[in-house]
Amino acid sequence: MFLTRLLKPTVTASAHCDLPCGVYDPEQARIEAESCYKIIEKYNASNDEQFKTRAIVIKEKQAELAKHHIDVLWSDYFKPEHVQKYPEITELCWKAAKQCSKVKGSLDLGEARTLLDMIDKIADVWTKAGGPQATRVQKAVAARA
Amino acid sequence: MEPTLRAGDWIVVSQLPRGPKVGEIVLVRDPRDPNRLMLKRVAAVADGSCTMLGDRPEESTDSRTFGPVPLPNVLGRAVFRYGPIGRIGWLWRAPFVT
Repeated sequence: MFLTRLLKPTVTASAHCDLPCGVYDPEQARIEAESCYKIIEKYNASNDEQFKTRAIVIKEKQAELAKHHIDVLWSDYFKPEHVQKYPEITELCWKAAKQCSKVKGSLDLGEARTLLDMIDKIADVWTKAGGPQATRVQKAVAARA
Repeated sequence: MEPTLRAGDWIVVSQLPRGPKVGEIVLVRDPRDPNRLMLKRVAAVADGSCTMLGDRPEESTDSRTFGPVPLPNVLGRAVFRYGPIGRIGWLWRAPFVT
């Protein structure tokens, strides 16, 4: 037992791979951010302490998910050639991820609105970079109608 | 990096007294997040940077995603796996590297 503890590595390195599904869409982050926005609205309209406690817990979870989706877009979807062409994307993703943390710890509707606007700016770059065609499976005509 | 490396392997990494060579598994700082360390195989070395590839190219997140890694980000070479016991062995010769 002592020997195992002694020999156990102290530094962890990653060698794992992502699943190659290749589907990336800022809409995932937006839906989580919309949840945060709506939850804050409901929190402010409620007088039920139990409901308000639940709202906080769920909002924090959704904000963390939004942050995860932004991180995945930034680190996995946007490639060096995108960054070269749209250099603003690094700062947009970085600031949006930080905004998720703000929303996580806040009940200010304005902070949630700011996050939605930031995600929309990321979505603009994603669209300009050919994201919809490159990463999404097109819907059947009947499903679109 | 499967099948060469698996989650939970205990690896000895040695500092490189020289530049990395093609085919070696090296420990690098992720250019996207310098706090994150990765083990990837060297596919090419040119112009002060290293192109990294995973051993399963169809699933790997490597230089095709994050670009070439500057040589100062290459911290060392994976030389030996000392755990788990059933997988102990040297790492410097991958079966497919010629």
